[in-house]
Amino acid sequence: MNRAKTTFVPTVFVALAACFAAVGQTQSTPAEISIVKALEKIDQQPDRVANYDSLAMAYARRARETSDVAYYQKAEETLKRAFQLAPDDMDAAKVQTWLLLGRHEFAKALEAGTKLNQKVPDDVVVFGYLADANTELGNYPEAVKAVQWMLNMKPGNIPGLTRAAYQRELHGDISGAIELMKRAHDSTPFQELEDRAWILTQIGHLYLVEGNLKDAELYAKGALDLFKGYHYAQGTLAQVRMEQKRYDEAIALLEARFRTAPHAENLYALGEALERAGRHDEALKAFAQFEPMALLESGITDNANHELIAYYIDFAKQPEKALTVAEQELARRRDVFTLGCHAWALAANGDYAAANVEIRKALALGVKDPRILEHARVIEEHLESSVASAATVPVSAN
Amino acid sequence: MKLKSILALAALAAAQLFASSHREAPITALDQKADITDWYAFVDPSHPDHVVLILNVDPFLEPGNGPNYFPFDPGILYEMKIDNNRDGVPDVTFQFRFATEIRAPGVFTGFAGGIAGIPPITALDGPGSEGLNLRQHYTVTMVTKSGTQDLTGNNTLYAIPANVGPRTMPNYDKLRAQGFYKLGNDVQVFAGTVADPFFIDLGAAFDSLNFRNTVGGGVFNQNVIALDDHHNYAPNTLAGFDVNSIVLEVPISMLTSDGKQHPASDAAAVIGSYGTTSRQNTIVLRDLAGMFGPQGSGDFTQIQRLGNPLINELIIGTGSKDKFSTDVPTNDAQFANFVLDPLLAKLFGSLGIPVASPPRNDLLLLVQYQAPICPGCKAADAGPVADLLRLNTGIPPTPFDKAKRLGFLAGDVAGFPNGRRLNDDVVDIAARVVAGILANPSLFNTPIGDGVNTPSAPISPDFPFVAPAYSGRDSSHSGPGQRGCNFSDGLCIGN
Repeated sequence: MNRAKTTFVPTVFVALAACFAAVGQTQSTPAEISIVKALEKIDQQPDRVANYDSLAMAYARRARETSDVAYYQKAEETLKRAFQLAPDDMDAAKVQTWLLLGRHEFAKALEAGTKLNQKVPDDVVVFGYLADANTELGNYPEAVKAVQWMLNMKPGNIPGLTRAAYQRELHGDISGAIELMKRAHDSTPFQELEDRAWILTQIGHLYLVEGNLKDAELYAKGALDLFKGYHYAQGTLAQVRMEQKRYDEAIALLEARFRTAPHAENLYALGEALERAGRHDEALKAFAQFEPMALLESGITDNANHELIAYYIDFAKQPEKALTVAEQELARRRDVFTLGCHAWALAANGDYAAANVEIRKALALGVKDPRILEHARVIEEHLESSVASAATVPVSAN
Repeated sequence: MKLKSILALAALAAAQLFASSHREAPITALDQKADITDWYAFVDPSHPDHVVLILNVDPFLEPGNGPNYFPFDPGILYEMKIDNNRDGVPDVTFQFRFATEIRAPGVFTGFAGGIAGIPPITALDGPGSEGLNLRQHYTVTMVTKSGTQDLTGNNTLYAIPANVGPRTMPNYDKLRAQGFYKLGNDVQVFAGTVADPFFIDLGAAFDSLNFRNTVGGGVFNQNVIALDDHHNYAPNTLAGFDVNSIVLEVPISMLTSDGKQHPASDAAAVIGSYGTTSRQNTIVLRDLAGMFGPQGSGDFTQIQRLGNPLINELIIGTGSKDKFSTDVPTNDAQFANFVLDPLLAKLFGSLGIPVASPPRNDLLLLVQYQAPICPGCKAADAGPVADLLRLNTGIPPTPFDKAKRLGFLAGDVAGFPNGRRLNDDVVDIAARVVAGILANPSLFNTPIGDGVNTPSAPISPDFPFVAPAYSGRDSSHSGPGQRGCNFSDGLCIGN
C-alpha cells in the first residue's frame, strides 16, 4: 500500500458507494460464493470428491467470516462424504487438519499435519498447518522452521507472510511484523474483502501493541470500511477506544462484536470494558453471564480459559480457581499466553517466585504483549519489594 | 480470539488451477501473477537502431473478470536481462516495480465511470481519472556492471488498466495512449493489460497432439495453407484473453557491450536475452538471517524465467520444470539432455513423422551463440549452454507487412529464432525445429503445424506493438462448440 501517494477522491466515491450500497449489503461474501459454487458442482457431479473438499473448505472459511462454529460442523459433515468416496483423499485430509486447528485441537492437528507432511513433503499449505499447531502449543522453534519452509518454497505467498508476521510479533519484532503484514495486504487480490480486512485488522492490532493508537485506529477502521461489522476489527477498534478512554464507543463496539460472535471471551472483554467505564452493575451482569459460559467449554480445547483465569483473579477474587484452570490449560499447551496466565495465577496465589520463573519463560521469547509485560512488572516489583523488606528486617532487628 | 490461528489460508487454497501451456511449471502454476507467458525481443522495423523487449505475464485474463481486473503484483520484481558478451550472464538488466493505489478503500470495484455522477474514465490522472479507484504506477531501473540508473526520472508512469467497457472507458485506445511514455535516453515504455498476442490451438496440442483433421491433423496440406501468414484454420485458444505486458524500446547502443551498433557479421552485434519474475525472500525472524540459507531478507528469489519460447513447456521434463524456472541460464547444462534428446521428437516419431536422431546438436543454436544467428561467432564464442533468446541486432528488420510467420524457416532472417516478433509462429517453427529441419531440411521438412497462424488481435507496427485489451463488456470467446465459431465445417475461420 503506497500510503504516501494515495489520493482520495471521496466525493465521487461517496456517490459510488451510495450507488452500490444496496448491492454491497446484499452482496455475497467470498465464502458464501464458494459455498454456492461448490453446492452447484456437487449437484452436477455428486460423486466427485473434489467438490466436497471445496464445500468443506468454503464452510470453514465462512466460519472465519462469521465466527460461527456451526460452519465447522457443516464442514465435518461434508468431509464424511468426501472420505466415503475416497478414504485417502489428500485434499480432504488437509481440510480435516484445518478444521482441527479451527476447533483448537492443536495436538491432534499437529499429528495430522505431520502425517500429511511425511506423505507430501513439498506442500506449502501443510507447512502452514504445522506452523499453526506448533505455535499454539508453544513449540516456537518448530513453528518458525515450518513458516520458513513456506516462504522458501514459495516466496511471497500470503499465508506464509501472515504467519511469519505472527512469529515476528511473538518474538517481539513488531515493526517487522507490520512490514510483512503490509506486504501480504499488497499481494492480496482486491476482491478478497474479508482476507484484506483480516490483514488490516492485524496491522491495526500490531500498531496497538506498539502504542501507536493513531495508526491502530486507521487500520481497524479501514478493515471495517472494507467488511462491514467485521467482528475482529470491532475488537481491535474497541481496544483503541479503551486506550483513548472513549469507553462508551468501545462498549458499543464490543456489544456489536458479541452479537455477531457470541463467544465467552468476547463477553469477558465487554465486561472488562464496562467495569473500566465505571458501569459496575452492567459489568457484573456481563460477568455473571460469562462465567457459566466459560466454564461450560473450559474442559474442551476451544475454550475461554485465558479470560476465565483473568476473571477469577481480577474480578471474582478467586485466585485458587484461577490456578486450577491455568494448570488445566497448561497441560494442553505451553504457549506464551498460557504461560503468562499461569504466572499471573501463581502470583495471585502468593507464589511470586514461581510466577517469576513462569513469566520469564514467556518473556524469553521476546513477546511484547502489554498484559504479559504489565504482569511481569508487577511480579518483579513484588519480588524486589520482598527482597528489600527481607533485607531491611535484620537491620531493623539489629 | 476464536479462529485466530486460522490465518489467510483461504487465499492460497482458493487459487484454483486450470491447466494451460501458459502455466507450465508446477510452482508457477500456484503463482499466476509471476507466470511469464511470453518473452519477445526484436529490432523495431520502423527504428532499426532500436530493440523492442516485451515481457508478458499473468495468463488467461478474462476481460470481464471484475471487480479488480488484473493489476501487476507489487510484490514481484519484473526484469528483462541482456547478455552482451556471450557468457550467459546478464550484463544489462531492466527492472520494473509496481505500486498500487486504492484511492477509495471502501469501494469494492476497481473502476467506475459514467455512473452515479462519476465521469467516464478518460485520463490516468487529474480530471477524468476520478473513476480509477485502483491505479498502479511503476518505476524503470537499468542495472549494469557500472551501476544502477533510474530511467523513470521525474515521470509518474501509470500502468494501463484492463478495458472495462464502453460506459466506464468510452475511448479506451485514447486512454491507453496516455500510457506510452518517452523517457530519457531515447527509451520508450508501456505497461498494462493487452490482448494476448500468443496464438496456438492449445486444446489440440495438449490433447496428446490431437490436431484438427481439417488442417491435416498436425501436418499441413502445404499447398493450401503452409505459407498463409494471415488466417487461422483452427481455434486460437488465447483468442479473447488478455495478458499483462511490459514493453520497453531502447537504443541498441544501450544493450551492446561497447555501446555501439555492429554489423550482423560481428559477434558483438548478438545479444542473448530473457525475462524473469522474482519475489522477495523473507527471513521469518530477522535476527536469525543466515540460519536458513545464504540469502538474507530483502534479496529476491527467481520464480520464473523465459528465454526461448516453449522450452519449458515442450522440452524440459515435468520433474525439472520448477528447477529450470528458478535457476539461471548458465546452469542449463544440467538440462542439456532434454535438448539433445527431446521427448517431443519421440512423440512426433510415434505419429509417423520423420525426426532426426539424437544427439540433437542441431538444437544447440537455441542455447549457444552459433551461426546462423551469430555468423561472427567462432567456436570459442559459443558460450555455455544457456536458454537465451538470441538476437542479432545487426540483421536489418523485415518491414512489418513483409514479415513471415515462419521466420528463419521461411527465409525471413529477422524472425525467430533470431529474436522473436509478436507474429512469429513459434509453435509451428519450434515443432519443425524439434523434428529436425535444421539438422537436415530435406529429410525432416514435415510441415507440422496447429493451423493457428496469426494472433487474434491485430499487432500494431508502432510502439507498443501489442493490441489493446479486449473490452470486458463486449468481448467473448469463440471456439469449437461455442457460439460465434463457425465450426460446422471443421474450421473456425475468422476467429
